[in-house]
Amino acid sequence: MKLELIGLTKTFNGQQVLGPIDFSDTIDTLAVVGPSGSGKSTLLRIIGGLLLPTEGRVMMDGEEAGHDESSLMLYRRRIGFVFQQGGLFRHMTARQNITVPLVHVHGFTQAEADARANALLSRFGLLSQAHKRPGALSGGEQQRIAIARAIAPRPRLLLLDEPTSALDPEFTTEVLDMISELKADGIRFIIVTHEMGFARHACEHIAFLHEGRLLEYGPSEQLFAHPQTPEFARFLSKLLEWNIVRE
Amino acid sequence: MKKIAIVLSVCLLLSAAAGCAPAVTDSEKPLVVAMELAYPPFETKDSAGNPSGVSVDFAKAFGEYIGRKVIIENIAWDGLIPSLQTGKADMIVSSMTITEKRKEMVDFSDPYANALLAILANKNSGISSIDDLNQPGKKVAVKTGTTGDIYAREHLQNAGRIELADESACVTEVVQGKADAFIYDQLTIYRNWKTHEDATVAVFIPFQDVEQWGVAVRKGNTELLDKLNAFIAKFRSEGGFDKLTQKYLAEEKAAFEELGFQWFFDLK
Amino acid sequence: MKLRELFLQNRNEKALPLKAALNLLLLTVIIVAVFWLSLTAVGVTFDFSFVSEYRTRIGQGFLMTLLISLASFAVSLLLGVLSALGQGSRVLMLRYLCGFYVKFSRGTPLMMQIYLFFYIIGTAWGIDNRFVAGVLILSIFEGAYISEIIRGSLLSIEATQWEAAKAVGFSRSQTLRLVILPQMVTRTLPALTGQLASIIKDSSLLSWIAVIELTQTIREISADNFKLFECYFLLGLLYLALTLPVTLITKKLEKKFSYET
Repeated sequence: MKLELIGLTKTFNGQQVLGPIDFSDTIDTLAVVGPSGSGKSTLLRIIGGLLLPTEGRVMMDGEEAGHDESSLMLYRRRIGFVFQQGGLFRHMTARQNITVPLVHVHGFTQAEADARANALLSRFGLLSQAHKRPGALSGGEQQRIAIARAIAPRPRLLLLDEPTSALDPEFTTEVLDMISELKADGIRFIIVTHEMGFARHACEHIAFLHEGRLLEYGPSEQLFAHPQTPEFARFLSKLLEWNIVRE
Repeated sequence: MKKIAIVLSVCLLLSAAAGCAPAVTDSEKPLVVAMELAYPPFETKDSAGNPSGVSVDFAKAFGEYIGRKVIIENIAWDGLIPSLQTGKADMIVSSMTITEKRKEMVDFSDPYANALLAILANKNSGISSIDDLNQPGKKVAVKTGTTGDIYAREHLQNAGRIELADESACVTEVVQGKADAFIYDQLTIYRNWKTHEDATVAVFIPFQDVEQWGVAVRKGNTELLDKLNAFIAKFRSEGGFDKLTQKYLAEEKAAFEELGFQWFFDLK
Repeated sequence: MKLRELFLQNRNEKALPLKAALNLLLLTVIIVAVFWLSLTAVGVTFDFSFVSEYRTRIGQGFLMTLLISLASFAVSLLLGVLSALGQGSRVLMLRYLCGFYVKFSRGTPLMMQIYLFFYIIGTAWGIDNRFVAGVLILSIFEGAYISEIIRGSLLSIEATQWEAAKAVGFSRSQTLRLVILPQMVTRTLPALTGQLASIIKDSSLLSWIAVIELTQTIREISADNFKLFECYFLLGLLYLALTLPVTLITKKLEKKFSYET
C-alpha cells in the first residue's frame, strides 16, 4: 500500500507543530518514534483522517484524503484506528464495540457482525470477556478489544497511537504480541510507540520525528544500528541508558 | 454494660431537655407580645426596623402598667395562635377580630376597637355592593385566615375565592383584574384605594355586624386576662386611644368622619 | 460477639438484614421519643380528626401537586435541553440568552420569580390561568437546573469518545444517536429524577399565587381550623409520599448505571 505525504504542515493556534513533511513509500509495517511533542500523534491523526492538515495532502494508493467532513468520513471508514486509551465506547459491551460499527457503517447484518466479532474474540482469547463493558476490563483487554474493533472491517491500513503507553508492563506484552500476530496475517500498520524493542524487531521500517520534522526513515534494523543524525543517536542513547548498563 | 449505661444516660438527657418547658407564669420574666408587623399603622416597623405602631405602643403601655418589660415578637399571621399554644408568646395584639372559632383556641380580652370590612373592587368589575360580588363568575381575593377570608367562605359562596398570603398580592390581583374584589378592613381598603384610585373603587357600605378586636391570651390564663381588662378600661378612660389616634391616624380619622364612619376606638 | 459490633459497620460495607433492622428500629424509637417529648414539652396534643372532614380537598390538592410536578418536569426537561444546546450555539445572541437565563433562574429566589412572572409577564401576555402560569413559572425555574445537568454531562463525555466515533466511521448523526445520547441518558437520569423531587417540593411555593395545590389546600384548612401543627405534619407526610419513591428510583438508577465509574 502506497502512502504519499506532500508538503504536510499543521499549525495549532499560530504555532507550527508539524512539517513540512514529504514522504512517499510503500507501507508494510512502520514504527514512528521520537521524543514527546515531536508531532507523532498529530501526524498519525492526519494520516487517519481525524485531523485536517493546515497545508499539504495525504494520498493513499493514489487516492487523496478529502478536505471536507463527508469525504473524510468515507476515507476514515477504510482505516482502523487505535487510541492510547479510552477509545472503546463506554456504554457498549466489548462485543457491541465491534459489531455496532460493522452494522451501522459497513452494512453487515447483525448475524454477520456477530460471527466476525466472535471469530476475532475467540482467536485472541477474549470471548469470555465479550459481554463486559470497558469499565470491567483490564487495560490490556481494553486495548486488545480496541484493536479487534479496528481490524474487524478489514481496513487497508491500521493506525496505532501509542497503544501500550498507558498500560502496566505485564499488559504491554500481550498487546504487542497481538500486533505482531496481525503482522504475520499480513495486516499493514503504522504504530507510534516508545517500545524500541518492538519498533526494531517487529516493524520493517522506522520513521524518526523530531520537532515536527521527519529526520530519518528506513529499514529499522539498519537505522537502529547506524543512526544517521545526532538527534536520533541522542534519542536512542537516552532511551537505552538503563538497558545498556544491564546488558 | 458500659454501653447500656451510655444509652440510658442519653435517654435521661433527652427527657430532661424536654422537661425544660418555659414556666411562663413567672411575673419577673419579660412579657412576650406576638404580632404580625405587616399591617400599618397598627403593627409595622419604623425606618430603623424597630416594631412601631398603635398596637406596639398599646402593648408597651400595658407592660408599664403591670411592671414587666415587653418584647415584641414578629410572627406571621398563620403562626400567631400557635405561638400562644406553644408558649412562645404570652399574648397577641395584632388587630385580631374576636370570632367564635378563635375563641375555641384562645381567650380574648374585652374588645378595644371596632372594625368593619369593606370592599376594594376593580373599576371595570361593576361591583357597587356586596351582592354584586356574590355572583357566579366573580372572584374575590382574601388574605388567608383573616376575617375577610372567613366572611367570604361563609357568605360569598357563589363567588370564587383566591386565598393569598399577603395584602399587597390581594391588592395587585384587584388592580390587574385577576380578582374582581378584595375584602379587608375599612382602613386598609381606604388606604389602598387612595393609592390605586385610577384602577379601583372602594365600597364602604357595611354588610355585616361590627367586628371587634381583642387581645388574645393562652386559654385559662385568667391572671393576665384580668389585668388586661382592667388596663383597657383605664387606658380608654384616660384618653390613651385618642392619643394613639392623633399620633398615627389623624388623617384617616378626618376621612372617616367625612364619610360618616364610626371610628375604630369608639365602642358603643 | 461484642455489644458494640451490633451497632457498628465498616464504611462501604452493608449491614446484615437483621443488624440493619435492629438499628433502624432503635433509631425510629429514639426519633419518635424525641418528637413525642418535644410535643409534650410545648403542651401540644395532636388531633387528626379533621382529616376525614377535609379528605376530598386534601386529595384534590395532592393530585394537583402531582399533576403540576409532572407537567413542570416535562416542560422543564424541554427547556433544559434547548437551553443546554443553546449555550453551545454558534449564534451569539442565543448563546448569551441561554447563559443569562440559567444564571438568572438559578441566582434568584423562586418566590420572586413567581411574583414577577405572574403579576407582570403573565398579566402582560394574558396568562391568567393559575395552573398554566404555575406550571410555566416552575418549569422556567427548574429548566435552568436541568440545563446545567445536561450541559455538565455533555461536557463530561471525554473527547476520546467523540474521536473514536469519528475513527470507526460514524456520521455526525450516528455519533449522537449511538454514542453520545446513550451515554448522556445514563449520566443524567439519576440527576434528573433527583430534580423531579426538587420540583415536587418547589411546587409548594406556587401557593403564593393561590394555585390550589397541596400546600395551599393545607394553608386554607389550617386557617379554618387553626390546627397548624397537625396540618403541617400531614403536609410533610404527603410530600414524603411523593418524594420518597422518586428518591428510591434515583438510587436504583444510580446503581444500574454505575458502570460509568
